[in-house]
Amino acid sequence: MLKDIVSTHKSAFAPGASTELRAQRNLVRRVVMQNGNLVGNARSDTKGVSARVYKNGLYGFASAAELSEAAVKKALEKATYNAAFLDSHAGRGKGALPFIQSGVRPADEDMNDVPQKTYIDFLRAVDNYIQKKYPKLLSRSVVSACDSMEKLICTSDGYASHIIAPRGYVYTMLTAEGKDKAPVELYEVFGGRGTFDRSFSKPELLFDTIDRLHERLMHKAEGVHAEAGNKLCILGGILSGMLAHEAVGHTVEADLVLAGSVAQHLLNKPVASPLVSMVDFAHTALGETAPLPVYVDDEGVAAEDALLIQEGILRGYMVNREMGERLKMAPQGNARAYMFSDEPLIRMRNTTVMPGTSTLDDMISSVDDGYYLLNSGNGQADATGEFMFGITMGYEIKNGKLGRALKDTTVSGVAFDMLKTVDMVGDTVTWSSSGYCGKKQRMPVGMGGPALRCRITIGGR
Amino acid sequence: MRNPKDLAKLALRMLMEAGADEASAAATRSELNEFNADAGEFSLMRTTFDKSVSLVFIKDHKRGAVSLNDNSPEALKAAVEECVTSAQSGEPDEAWGLADVPQDKVFESGAEMNVDKLFSRTDELIRTIGKEYPKIMIDQLIVSHVHVKSAYANSHQVNYEGEDSFYGVSLACLAREGEKSSSFSGVGSMLYSLDRPFIELDGIRITLSDAQKQIDTMPADGKYEGTVVFTPGCLQEVLGALAGNYVGNSVILEGTSQWLNKLGQHVADARITLSSQPHHPDMVAGQRYTGEGFLAEDYDIIKDGVLENFMLSLYVANKTGHRHAPNDSFAAVMKNGDTPITDIIKSIDKGLLVGRFSGGAPGANGEFSGVAKNAFLIKNGQVTHAVSETMISGNLAGMLNNVRGISSEVFKDGGSVLPYLAVDGITISGK
Repeated sequence: MLKDIVSTHKSAFAPGASTELRAQRNLVRRVVMQNGNLVGNARSDTKGVSARVYKNGLYGFASAAELSEAAVKKALEKATYNAAFLDSHAGRGKGALPFIQSGVRPADEDMNDVPQKTYIDFLRAVDNYIQKKYPKLLSRSVVSACDSMEKLICTSDGYASHIIAPRGYVYTMLTAEGKDKAPVELYEVFGGRGTFDRSFSKPELLFDTIDRLHERLMHKAEGVHAEAGNKLCILGGILSGMLAHEAVGHTVEADLVLAGSVAQHLLNKPVASPLVSMVDFAHTALGETAPLPVYVDDEGVAAEDALLIQEGILRGYMVNREMGERLKMAPQGNARAYMFSDEPLIRMRNTTVMPGTSTLDDMISSVDDGYYLLNSGNGQADATGEFMFGITMGYEIKNGKLGRALKDTTVSGVAFDMLKTVDMVGDTVTWSSSGYCGKKQRMPVGMGGPALRCRITIGGR
Repeated sequence: MRNPKDLAKLALRMLMEAGADEASAAATRSELNEFNADAGEFSLMRTTFDKSVSLVFIKDHKRGAVSLNDNSPEALKAAVEECVTSAQSGEPDEAWGLADVPQDKVFESGAEMNVDKLFSRTDELIRTIGKEYPKIMIDQLIVSHVHVKSAYANSHQVNYEGEDSFYGVSLACLAREGEKSSSFSGVGSMLYSLDRPFIELDGIRITLSDAQKQIDTMPADGKYEGTVVFTPGCLQEVLGALAGNYVGNSVILEGTSQWLNKLGQHVADARITLSSQPHHPDMVAGQRYTGEGFLAEDYDIIKDGVLENFMLSLYVANKTGHRHAPNDSFAAVMKNGDTPITDIIKSIDKGLLVGRFSGGAPGANGEFSGVAKNAFLIKNGQVTHAVSETMISGNLAGMLNNVRGISSEVFKDGGSVLPYLAVDGITISGK
């Protein structure tokens, strides 16, 4: 665990400024096996300190790649200098930030660190299973990707906190030959919050899901192109989570709101069907610990849930302390930085469409002609709310029953138009947390949602 | 604090003393200074002092790799032990290796930072945008200066030392009018000197003026096969996908590339020459040596339509019997054509000019579909209105055999030199 080298420097904080000091360590462990070859076997350990000083409406930031008293002093002095430089050249003459509640939040996790052999042996067992059971595959990849973030934060006001956030995942990617001889692929992700050894006790526990993955891959190998156009679709939970994050979440981050996102003029206006509510959960979601809980953010704000959409009405933005002051909204713990050398940005945490009352079976049986879309490879959205998701697994729905699988395709739309077409919301939330959200820096985020019945434009071919 | 050269040599010695058959060590020390403007106003001045050490240990054909940013003797000792343990945990594979041609070279590029000039150029850009492009809202402008000292040493008497210093400009913006706004637009450049105002860098003015025309959009009409003109910025994304799908490490190692057996054969229109040229005079801080210790050289991936090289690491090259890539960056250069882009557009009956592609990663078969962003409809040889909610789909490899034209103009952003590329036979579907 990190030794506290930051709190003793609080007395050196400049008066009249808001200051944050952070000591941080990031561990990454990655093993990649492709067709049985161990092509990646790497560990990284990155640590250092940073300081950020807010004065007269502008920030100065500095970091040093060392965990030492000298490094803290250097970062603090340089950050103070940078804030003064910017103030003298582009000063805004704004006052200090409003005080926030202070407190202490101790660590309650462990860093994600097991010997490399643990990952390799686990992947080898998974790979052997796939190779033996499915020898006709064109290729297979298994990857373990684990990261841990540890932060010690001291702020001029707010919470002093010690944060440890480990994640561990195993990816399996299978490729088979399609009926047209072209390769088709499909992947599955296992794991979540916590250290690898706690998430992955036995390789055998993955085998049933791998069998299902293979079964779906075989369906996809016989798959058809989706018919292009605006279709009635059931979006699975993975996709509705992506919608919550990409297409809605980003447009209601205050920095993007101030830059002119579509949400700028929509506060307290209808943006979705009354069946749709959306929340960015801080640490506890739907009665359980959220996939990637945040208790205190990097500005020392005690984290609370951010209500984004309530029964179809846009109710809030996600802010940091400075933008919260500008927009007259209380900060709720959304300011986070990825590495020690990164400044905190407004980031989502566990962004979710709230569950409704419909069962998935009822939703599928309600569709005469449409698609059930399960998985996505990637997704992007725009300031306008226009979004695109790559679809890697889906099925036709004909007369209320699942039909043929789909080849890879794309869905797109404008979030606040498409959400108004939602007329059934599933009763079960599916979460995902393995990815990184890309902004200026990357950041682990959780997202989730129930199945949604809606109209959406599908790419086809 | 040790300099990177001494650190790399020390780390290499420690790896060899730990019993390596082969080993390498790379070290960097860097300082970054950066100004940020958010929502059109200065917001942050940031300085980072960073360092890194990367170790590779190979023994009995087993390989381990560790990276860290702590160069204290205790941390290095622990990292070497971790690297050894990591290698021992793996399985032997004779394909692992490092560059084995002795080298001893020093590289330098760039100039010292002028922080006042960097600020004034940034301020000038913000003011110029405000005056000449009044509908533009800067979402985020990041200007930076990086100074990095680096060194590499491996057990085959390969030694490199480098010092690079360069500026970067990255602009994300949109255009607004009342309650309406355009999509995001982005443009960036790396450069050695602050002689020119940032507004004059390749791609900046056109990005700003196009964004202002993209506030009012309409979907393309119906579904049809048409011509798509990719801007140089969008072409860079397309080429990245192409590299991953057909010539990169994973697809060659897995054997799923559809170009697996096509070296020496035509895979594209004869006008296509695509290369990776870190030594191109318009590249900024281009790669000088590879991660495996080879002296970086320019090379063609496709020459006159013929597939010349895959983009392979030494490991995958050894594994598959192909040649490793002469550099492991992707400093993309596409040979320009001899027709101005306006003339290419005049030849198009129906199609799109696409500035950004928002799509799913193409499948292994190269099929792609996604939304045409920052895009305009082309009709009867004219660029008409901006489009939204318009999808394009096609096949990456097929596209290269369906070239309508390559522009004579190229954009140089310090990391690539690319023209406009017009391809026929793309499915365009609006509402």
